[in-house]
Amino acid sequence: MKFQLVFPKWRKLEGQTTFNLPPHGAIVFAATIPQDIEVEFIDENLEEMRFDDDVDFVGISMLLTTQIKRGWAIADEYRKRGKKVIFGGISTMLHAEETMEHADSVFLGEAEGHMEQVFKDFKNGELKKVYNHMNDLPPIEIVGPARRELYNRDLYYHKGVQMVDLFHASRGCKYSCYPCAVSYLGGRQFRPRPIDKAIEELESIDNNRLFIVDNSLAQDTQWEKDLFKAMIPLKKKWCSHTIEDKPEVLDLAAQAGAWYVYQAVFDTSDYIKERVKRYHDYGIGVEGTILLGLDNQTEDDIKRLIDFLLEIDLDLAEFTVLAPFPHTKAYNDLVKQNRIFNKNWDDYNAGQVVYHPKHMSAERLQELYQYAWDTFYKDESQEEKMFKLLKKVVSREVEDGTFKKRRQDLSKSSFGKNVIHKIA
Amino acid sequence: MESKVDNYQDQIYHFKGLWDVPSICGLKIVKKAENTVVIATDLFEDNPGTSITEWNVKLAKQICDENEIDYTDLIYIEHTPDKKTKLSFNHESFFKVKFDVTSDKFENPQWQELAKNEVDKLITE
Repeated sequence: MKFQLVFPKWRKLEGQTTFNLPPHGAIVFAATIPQDIEVEFIDENLEEMRFDDDVDFVGISMLLTTQIKRGWAIADEYRKRGKKVIFGGISTMLHAEETMEHADSVFLGEAEGHMEQVFKDFKNGELKKVYNHMNDLPPIEIVGPARRELYNRDLYYHKGVQMVDLFHASRGCKYSCYPCAVSYLGGRQFRPRPIDKAIEELESIDNNRLFIVDNSLAQDTQWEKDLFKAMIPLKKKWCSHTIEDKPEVLDLAAQAGAWYVYQAVFDTSDYIKERVKRYHDYGIGVEGTILLGLDNQTEDDIKRLIDFLLEIDLDLAEFTVLAPFPHTKAYNDLVKQNRIFNKNWDDYNAGQVVYHPKHMSAERLQELYQYAWDTFYKDESQEEKMFKLLKKVVSREVEDGTFKKRRQDLSKSSFGKNVIHKIA
Repeated sequence: MESKVDNYQDQIYHFKGLWDVPSICGLKIVKKAENTVVIATDLFEDNPGTSITEWNVKLAKQICDENEIDYTDLIYIEHTPDKKTKLSFNHESFFKVKFDVTSDKFENPQWQELAKNEVDKLITE
């Protein structure tokens, strides 16, 4: 039996450097599929759809709200051809009711331990409309390793340089941040993977550079330290969301190959400034993530924030506007106040304003979002700053003998497409 | 006028939220001669499931049915407590919710923000 697993494409943000990273959720899900099923993976961001392939069953893995309408359209095409389609993934859970209109089946929750039944039901012609496992999280010990062999690997290179591989060491998050849907998604409790399981998976990844995608590693100091300690011999280099900034954690993180971390910058306080400095003191780069359009921000606040970012020596900055994703407090608040004016999910890409901000017009916030990108990268472009970070990791790899040269056979292509070299 | 009320929940109320996920909220019911004020309080991190706002049409009806509250006498308030941060969207808020009510369901919620003093007045006078 053949199962085609699809990761739908979405519209990328204009004016920003686009990197196509190998999707993670889909291949973590693929690891839960019974072994006798043949799985074929299509990342539509880089590959053409193959609606007429001879497959028995189709899965659509959805991560982002901005991806879901395309996911629905893909499902409609398959269903026109008589194929059964099941949806899963984070944004399927966020948009379950709407997604059901385009699906033969919708899977809600985490897939581990449940796919034998789903495939058995499919084979028996008894596929259920909804598999509701929102309240039935699997033991964390049985998670992974992800099936990275399903990737068409050559597609995830830019001019011969391999993109980072994604990896997760935990699930759930004990925090409840304003724009985040974790409470709805059932991940309120932090569930770290056993260190030996995480290390086993890390060892199996044929890539020295990783993005550890966990919501936050800063949730259990001892586990975090144990993980970093165990990672040291692997000599991987990685970026991640927040890690704790205690000296003993930072020291171990640096030894474990911390390359750069994301740090939310929400004000111009010394707290942020000192935190960024502490990361830098340990040789760890910092990419600021800056959410614009919160109700406590005036135009002046946003301009001051951008000036501040230039002062604190961030290595990179990523600006987003608040996207009120369903099942978040942000969404609830804006609905209550009747402030959402755009419900086209394609536009929920965190680059387009879809609600009325409190202290300015939506148009003005859109302008300030562009102003933020332009101002931060005025003297040094995003690509130049990224190249600097890349140079740092390369020199560390050369030092510890893990550096791999770029692939010459892919040096003239970017994500599977030929590129024309510009002469500066 | 400074508020003299510091308690907007008398009990933890358990309910099944979206996709049957066990959920909780704070609950205060003040029955008066002319109406009944129900305050549902968001418990944020302590709530493993669905928020009061997201589930309000079902939650309000369930609370009314279990407590023999006449739908027409209901004043239903959603309360989000202060999260003790300096971020304005985490400050305390109260919203009165009006529903279109038929015999078997509540629908079309419409929210109106209330000041704390207005809520206090509703439950004390």
